[in-house]
Amino acid sequence: MITVTIDEKTIQVSEGTTVLKAAKMAGVEIPTLCDHPYLTPYGGCRLCLVEVQGARTLQPACTLPVSNNMVVHTSTEKVKSARKFVLTLIFSERNHFCPFCQLSGGDCELQNAAYKEDMTHWQLQPNWTPYPVDASHPYFILDNNRCILCRRCVRACGELVGNFTLGLEERGALSMLIADLGSTPLGESSCVSCGSCVQVCPTGAIIERHSAYKGHDTQVQKTSTLCIGCSIGCGIVIDSRDNQLVRINGDWEAAVNGGVLCKVGRFYQMDEKRKRVTSPMVRKEGALKQATWDEALSYIVEHFKPLAGKSNNGIAAIASTRLPAEALFAFKKLFVEHLKSDMVTTLEEGMATLAAAKLAEKTGKSFEGNLNALDGADCILVAGADLTQDHEVAGFFIKRAQPHGTKLILVDSGTNGLDLAADVTLKAGSGSLQDTLKRLASPDNHSELSGAVELLAGAQKPVFLYGSGVNEGDLEALLRLAESYNGKVIGLKGGANSLYASQLRLEKPFKLNGHQAAYVALGDDFLAQNIEDQLKDVPFLVVQTAYQTELAEHADVILPVEMWAEVSGHYLNLEGKLQEAHPSLTAPKGVNSNLLTLETLGAALGYDLKGDWKTELTARTPAVAVAA
Amino acid sequence: MGKPKIASDWLAGCAGCHMSLLDIDERIIKIAELADLRATPITDLKEPDEDGVAVGILEGGVNNSANEEVAHRMRSRCSLLVALGDCAVFGGVPAMRNMFTLEESLRRAYVETESTDSEGKIPDDPELAVPQKVRALHEVVPVDIFVPGCPPDPDVIYYVLSELAQGRKPEIIGDKLHWH
Repeated sequence: MITVTIDEKTIQVSEGTTVLKAAKMAGVEIPTLCDHPYLTPYGGCRLCLVEVQGARTLQPACTLPVSNNMVVHTSTEKVKSARKFVLTLIFSERNHFCPFCQLSGGDCELQNAAYKEDMTHWQLQPNWTPYPVDASHPYFILDNNRCILCRRCVRACGELVGNFTLGLEERGALSMLIADLGSTPLGESSCVSCGSCVQVCPTGAIIERHSAYKGHDTQVQKTSTLCIGCSIGCGIVIDSRDNQLVRINGDWEAAVNGGVLCKVGRFYQMDEKRKRVTSPMVRKEGALKQATWDEALSYIVEHFKPLAGKSNNGIAAIASTRLPAEALFAFKKLFVEHLKSDMVTTLEEGMATLAAAKLAEKTGKSFEGNLNALDGADCILVAGADLTQDHEVAGFFIKRAQPHGTKLILVDSGTNGLDLAADVTLKAGSGSLQDTLKRLASPDNHSELSGAVELLAGAQKPVFLYGSGVNEGDLEALLRLAESYNGKVIGLKGGANSLYASQLRLEKPFKLNGHQAAYVALGDDFLAQNIEDQLKDVPFLVVQTAYQTELAEHADVILPVEMWAEVSGHYLNLEGKLQEAHPSLTAPKGVNSNLLTLETLGAALGYDLKGDWKTELTARTPAVAVAA
Repeated sequence: MGKPKIASDWLAGCAGCHMSLLDIDERIIKIAELADLRATPITDLKEPDEDGVAVGILEGGVNNSANEEVAHRMRSRCSLLVALGDCAVFGGVPAMRNMFTLEESLRRAYVETESTDSEGKIPDDPELAVPQKVRALHEVVPVDIFVPGCPPDPDVIYYVLSELAQGRKPEIIGDKLHWH
């Protein structure tokens, strides 16, 4: 520990602490622009200049490490006038006229900084050079006129996402934020639309199309919750206003993702085009007609009652893994325990969980670990997963580790979005993944594998990550391989509640067989074509859905339910971490929660669906230890 | 000693700052009690008194030779000059045209507008003021008090006027400081 005095306050800090961080600890606020708490200090804007006793010139607090007995002054006249001058220079560089900027009025860190220094005007006027605006991207606009060259976006793109799309070309006043090598419009670049650059931009240089002019930070309601786009369960902060979504940001505090999101979490969910269902519908004389909940439920009861207790020619039921645990629990209770159907599953059909669930049950051991192992790994083997297609944030964790020396080995059969990023790609070709994995574990005489073997052998902390392309045999081979290299294993699973559905044993392939009725708890999910095709011919079809769906053509009853932002309930992520979703929007009148819909249907049929859904979390040995 | 005289005028602005001034509503009576409101764009008297006023207020940036003249006249006849609103303080919305050449903006305004039916014409009457690059007021004449805002809030304008009417210099800081 070393001693530092900042504005007469003396504190002890550990060696290597920057003056900026030390000041924060001492309760002294130093203004910053290019600095961001989740990015490497850069020292570009100079707004954080402070006076260090004995130093010839003012020093940037964000990059200067504290030395023992250092004495720092942060609000002397010299410092204050330097700050004003720094801001004056920034304002003079480009177009920073506030009246026509969407961030003006509280959201702009540059404007706020000027207010803090009591700047009523600019000492120097701008030089009136127009800079390029790149509006080629579907989700955000890059306006170089508003850019202060702080490079937060460049650092976020590289450090947090490992994508390195954004960069700067030229020097001095000509410095320009660019995508890839410069002549590429952002919309046609290597950008993966994660939007991290939008989240960190301090000015109006990168603005989101969807949220523009919809409300400032102070005008929106903030809800910390989780993304239910996949089983990672990233922490998000939803901004909403007047029951409308304004924007989604990654939650910096979330242990799972630490602020990073993918396009699904940040943009796709904001871009919903489907129409809502707001009233129950019942088929009368061949056409779906609006009905009350009571009418709809009694119509279902009329058709379900005769089929109750019939295991193979009764009611088939299928649910989305985007439903909260509470609803999935009630779903299982109704259709398995009470109605005794032999075909109760999820839209995932266990494809992403079954292999692991069987193995965990067979060995009686949980064998998977957490995603944060990726950040410390020195070699990562990915089997049967394309992390550019889904679970993209896990792919970001890998890509951002690579510049630090982490090696990537891909084992799969088709093309993979990470092929070019990988150090070694092993394509199984006509053989199965397990052949390749087994040969990796006993590598004698397989020269084509020597590259991968060398990387694994040299690794101290290898991680083996697998996706739904891995079957039970492959997984066994992968586990043996991981064991032989003393590595950690991570299973990606599928949807938001994939793991909980697996714990409920809702993971068989959907076959209508002889069932006379079907119940689809779709929530706000999409239906796979093969399942839709089977449901077309069922004599009686009930769909519980938030949005109008193709199934409506065949449905006899439609029950309107909540969409993701309205849902409250629990989700078990791929790490076995139980997280709670909080609603940011209120559902329209006439729309019920997924849980309530199932419970009232159960009650109408004479069944009580209440029970402790938490007991099912560990009712069978999970593939990953559940932390509830 | 009589009441301090206040005069105002507008340059390249939208009159919005003067509208915001009128939005101080009945408080204008209080100002009239404290000060002598002289020439303004919304009173009959159009030019500040030749023997001078205590406070001159200008809205808008300077975008042609006529604005320049008005700015110089006001400066020469007032003791304290107030730049009212973003256009006077920074150049504001009219200054967007500085990103283009004068020729380009004149063509866009008089020839290429959607409502120009046949062939447009850039006005060239020698009696017209000569357009210039848009400048903030302080680039043309020294300014004593800057009141930014697009427009400044009526409460801020009232504060500025009442302070000036009572011989004090207003401080535009904290909640009173807005650039939008």
